[in-house]
Amino acid sequence: MSTGAAVANPWLAAPIEIAGVTPELAGVATYHMRFRDAKRHAQFRFRPGQFNMLYLPGVGEIAISLSGAGGLGGTWDHTIRVAGNVTRALADLGPGGSLGLRGPYGSWWPVEETAGADLVVVAGGIGLAPLRPVLDAWLAAPKRLGRCTLLYGGRTPDTLLYAKQHARWADAGVDVQTTVDRADVGWTGNVGVVPLLLDRIRPLVPKNTVLLVCGPEVMMRYAVLSGLARGLAKEQIWVSLERNMQCAVGLCGHCQLGPAFVCKDGPIFRYDKIEPYFDVEGL
Amino acid sequence: MDSKVLADVLAKLRFSESLPDEVLQRVAAASKLEGYAAGSVLFREGMQNDVLMVVAVGRVALDMHVPGRGEVRILSLGPGDMVAWSALLGGGRMTTSAVALDDTQVVAISAADAQALCETDPTFGYHLMRQVAMALAHRLVATRLQLLDLFADTPPAIPQGPD
Amino acid sequence: MTAAAKRPQRDGPTLWLARADLQTLVDVLWQEGYRVIGPTVAQAAIVYDEIRSVDDLPRGWTDEQSGGSYRLKRRDDEAYFGYVVGPHSWKQYLFPPRATVAVADRRADGWHMSGVERDEPAFAFLGARACELAALAVQDRTFLGDDYVDPIYRARRERAFIVAVNCTQAASTCFCTSMDTGPRCTGGFDLAMTELPDGFTLEVGSERGARIAAQLPNTAAAKDTLARADSARQQAVEQISKHLDTTDIRDLLLNNLEHERWNEVATRCLSCTNCTMVCPTCFCNSVKDVADLQGDHVERVREWDTCFNWDFSYMNGAVVRDQIRSRYRQWLTHKLASWIDQFDVSGCVGCGRCITWCPVGIDLTEEVAAIRETAP
Repeated sequence: MSTGAAVANPWLAAPIEIAGVTPELAGVATYHMRFRDAKRHAQFRFRPGQFNMLYLPGVGEIAISLSGAGGLGGTWDHTIRVAGNVTRALADLGPGGSLGLRGPYGSWWPVEETAGADLVVVAGGIGLAPLRPVLDAWLAAPKRLGRCTLLYGGRTPDTLLYAKQHARWADAGVDVQTTVDRADVGWTGNVGVVPLLLDRIRPLVPKNTVLLVCGPEVMMRYAVLSGLARGLAKEQIWVSLERNMQCAVGLCGHCQLGPAFVCKDGPIFRYDKIEPYFDVEGL
Repeated sequence: MDSKVLADVLAKLRFSESLPDEVLQRVAAASKLEGYAAGSVLFREGMQNDVLMVVAVGRVALDMHVPGRGEVRILSLGPGDMVAWSALLGGGRMTTSAVALDDTQVVAISAADAQALCETDPTFGYHLMRQVAMALAHRLVATRLQLLDLFADTPPAIPQGPD
Repeated sequence: MTAAAKRPQRDGPTLWLARADLQTLVDVLWQEGYRVIGPTVAQAAIVYDEIRSVDDLPRGWTDEQSGGSYRLKRRDDEAYFGYVVGPHSWKQYLFPPRATVAVADRRADGWHMSGVERDEPAFAFLGARACELAALAVQDRTFLGDDYVDPIYRARRERAFIVAVNCTQAASTCFCTSMDTGPRCTGGFDLAMTELPDGFTLEVGSERGARIAAQLPNTAAAKDTLARADSARQQAVEQISKHLDTTDIRDLLLNNLEHERWNEVATRCLSCTNCTMVCPTCFCNSVKDVADLQGDHVERVREWDTCFNWDFSYMNGAVVRDQIRSRYRQWLTHKLASWIDQFDVSGCVGCGRCITWCPVGIDLTEEVAAIRETAP
């Protein structure tokens, strides 16, 4: 055993601040973040699907996916729904608020690895947030090799995330299809659960299609089944899983799902890798 | 329309794509293609309808009337989806209203002809009913998922300990 | 290979330390700057604590263990190390049950975060068993084996000096032979001793060990002494009665996640967490914030946690492992199966502590056997 230099403390957060807040939906906002240290800020890179640990001293720490980058002078984004103590405290902080960050952590959507394939992005509810960087990457690609379809479902029309951007994505070539569980008067869009949209996509070339799914576990389960029914192999399907993440680096044991540490082996899993543990009650 | 063209249409739709060719041809012979402009009504809840439909182009919404709430939209359907299965199984009384959301074309299969074929040709009956049953099973699962209300905001419970 | 296991084996002769010179070993270790930790009797058990004198050791005591039962008994000799293992393990020294891992201070320009500068103690562990050496190697994989390393564990582990003592007896709960971890200490120590009535054979396992040995009044062990030590150690081998069949154990457990036995064991398991607290390899922990009254100074305090705690798997307003069945299944499948995926080694070293200290005497070897017997 060598006595090396001091090792990095995995628990040490770096100071960041909220550069701005964009309200999205009732209880949901996108926070634009930057490091207080300009040098550190300039070095920050992440891949679509990765997450950060946001730390509010004295309140707690939560794992939040990165939902975009490049806004407000090079900030990066987290789209967050107020759901517990930390998210509520974050919402109270507002622009200029000071907090800590560890990250980015975790695996990523296979965007570069599957360049050229047709992307089918299936999202439910706030699950669109970790997939938005995939759309951004597809839109920013210098050359369009494959198609990109977004199948997005929400509870009601007024809970569809990033609604203003849907048209922009569609104009830029993404086939954007949305659906809601409960329509309201005047809604002429789709009604029904997201997997139904996947059933209907035509044409779909199974060999050249990659399915990326993020949403409630039950939704993902049926989206995967629809994908498999359309002839996709398990190796062409990726899902995003969520567990109690605390250390984010495989040292605390909280986020285990079977053999996987969701924090470092996930949160993005190729379906065949996680299938035996994906649907086991209470695992 | 030529039943050969209809058979080609049916062969590309999810509802009918896996039917044996012979069955497909006979379904096509009992069908016609119908067009509905966006906003027009295919049928209304409670009325009698004598055709089983398969959406070929466009989208169709299914609404139910709820006193005090008006027409509540339950589901929208797209190409390959079956509509009006009650024509075949439920005595023809429609359980929803169907409205074209886009300019829509449906393959309308005569329920009387299809029923007669089912009665006289069990093989035909098996294949057609199998497709209907699969479509219904699929619809049922989707309805269950919708019922689960997966995106509902649940107030965060703070752990208090096991019951 | 773990860092500890890489320590070269000395080829030198096995030495002899007279019984009267054991105190010299303790003294030399203190003089060398080590804080000597070893077995002592407290609260009717043999536990680990600071050792200044051989009088602190459990001389003449032994432990009698079985499922859900641990009793101290007088021996009919004056052996210092005539017991097996108690509720403590060295884990509590390298991976402290409670430690501040970072701090945050609020200043005018916002929060400032920093680590905790501290001079980690250098421990000398006196009396480590073979299964415990294996447990250290297992925890090395967890805390040192990946991109992310635990700084406290690393600093303490690097400094730690290990005096192993070979088992010369076994408890009914021991199954190290099934896990291939004992009872003989074969590596991962600085010094290894085998106790005989008149003294100790002494094997040197590292350069550091050699430096300490050189300061002891020792001679090469005589041939008949070596034979006596062999037969003392053989006694432990022969007393081991418990067996765990580890054949394909990873697949056996992970392919039987819905086995009826999980329901059955859940009717007995109290989810009390004892098994995880006494386990020398369990590493789950939680970090909580402790703030001063103004809320301007916050310490991030890491504490041992366990998969048996109800809210361990809390997520988004719900607890994933809400049932005891789920929690016991998590513990056993992690320990014996998924640990292998994660760390290329079993999480179980066969020390038997979880069997002894389970208040209802659940025996993991019986649970595995039951699943094996009825697995489809």
